[in-house]
Amino acid sequence: MDPGAAVNPDTGEANPYLPEVAANPIPFYERLRDHLPVAMFEGFGRGTWIISRYEDVRWALKHPEIFSSDFVAVDIGQDRPLIPLQIDPPEHAKYRRVIDPTIGPHEVAPLEDELRSVVNEILDGFVGRGTVDAHAEFTVPLPCIVFLSMCGLPLEHLQQLLEFKDNIIRPNTGDPEEDARVRRATGAALYAYFEDAIEQRRGGTGTDLLTRFLTSEVDGRTMSKEEMLDICYLFILGGLDTVTSTLDCSLAHLAQDPVQRALIADDPSIVPAAVEEMLRFHTPVMQILRAVAQPVELHGHQFEVGDTVMLMLGSADTDPSEFGEDASEFDATREVNRHLAFGGGPHRCLGSHLARLELRVALEEWHRRIPDYTVAEGAHLEYSPGIREIVSLPLVFDPVVAEAVE
Amino acid sequence: MMRIVFDEQACVGHGRCYALAPQVFDADDLGHCVVLLTEPPAELEAAARLAVASCPEDALTIEG
Ligand code: HEM
Ligand code: SF4
Repeated sequence: MDPGAAVNPDTGEANPYLPEVAANPIPFYERLRDHLPVAMFEGFGRGTWIISRYEDVRWALKHPEIFSSDFVAVDIGQDRPLIPLQIDPPEHAKYRRVIDPTIGPHEVAPLEDELRSVVNEILDGFVGRGTVDAHAEFTVPLPCIVFLSMCGLPLEHLQQLLEFKDNIIRPNTGDPEEDARVRRATGAALYAYFEDAIEQRRGGTGTDLLTRFLTSEVDGRTMSKEEMLDICYLFILGGLDTVTSTLDCSLAHLAQDPVQRALIADDPSIVPAAVEEMLRFHTPVMQILRAVAQPVELHGHQFEVGDTVMLMLGSADTDPSEFGEDASEFDATREVNRHLAFGGGPHRCLGSHLARLELRVALEEWHRRIPDYTVAEGAHLEYSPGIREIVSLPLVFDPVVAEAVE
Repeated sequence: MMRIVFDEQACVGHGRCYALAPQVFDADDLGHCVVLLTEPPAELEAAARLAVASCPEDALTIEG
């Protein structure tokens, strides 16, 4: 199916939740922006409005008093609102003041060497083989290992944490009620897991993320156990699949684009710009949700209080009105790149500094060691809607000798 | 000479400015922008202009 057909200007409807849209969203985005700047998506059991133009999305992000995050739109097994994702200003800023410094730019920079070793150890596992499912073996474990290490949790918990995350995000039992039950049960287990980890650190002097949460103050008081758990929950749900999907999209893209791949392999100094362009062009978190808190009009459409609105970040990021006539082309050397892949306004991704470091080091090391690779013949790349992970990403390359990491 | 104007209220810490022109901008502990050189010297002007143009929140502007 032509992904553009998922937009129907006659009925005013659009459906971003189709695998063929997730695999090739640009024609879909283009039709949305051109024909239905306010569209209706009849999904999730209720109607959701879609906003898709760059300036409209940016405006909505900057106006949390109109487009609120204070709601639990998607049941992801949580007991309470996720902190700080589902908290509105001014309350929101109190939490950001506490959490931001724990993963700010100066805080994550010293992690680079360790991160490089982690990436190389993972690469060592398959470089000699000449074939890999890059999703299962590279892009999934990497952010999870980084997270465990930042929290001072043992590496042996990798499988456990991945299971938590997968059972919450995609329980895939085939039955919505059973899905909800699995989510709840896993959510409870995830809370218990972190509660345990936090209790073990009480009174400790470590520098890991959890110990820092224990001693950080909001409004002149330390955080409650619940508050810390609500943050941890969000880190698991927001900090793993997002990095995985960006790396999936990046490797799949470069495997099929030898010209841009050679640019990166020949000159690692362009990797930071290439990372920004990957984020823009692929916008792995396709969309985010808001609830209307004040009546407002846009393009002749009247939004009412309580309406759910989807901000289509991916279509904003490929809008020619911001990115020029070549907006739907990938250019690793693009100069000005004001993409919204990390959102914008007060909820701008809290993990963006860590994410950028992970993405840069992963792509630098991958291309240093595997400069040339292609998608395995006959492989069909299936993208998940919403967060664009590639279910399986078989790549082939000339085997190289594993190098011991000092 | 160019002069950089920073709107603290608008900055949310995307970090594009200090990534693109680290000699002109730095980050505070929240990852928000700190302007190191309000009037950057000629050799840093190009980088400063690119950084200003890259702020998704329009928190940075140039006078002159
Ligand atoms: C390439 C990787 C990533 C992408 C594309 C991404 C994308 C996003 C987006 C679009 C938002 C805005 C949500 C909204 O406004 O509703 C967001 C928020 C957030 N992200 Fe990320 N993210 C990434 C990595 C991470 C990592 C590694 C972490 C944690 C360590 C993280 C933690 C968070 C948190 C806590 C928020 C909520 C911030 C708030 O509401 O104030 N993210 N992310
Ligand atoms: S790019 Fe803009 S929003 Fe980001 S840190 Fe710099 S001034 Fe702030």
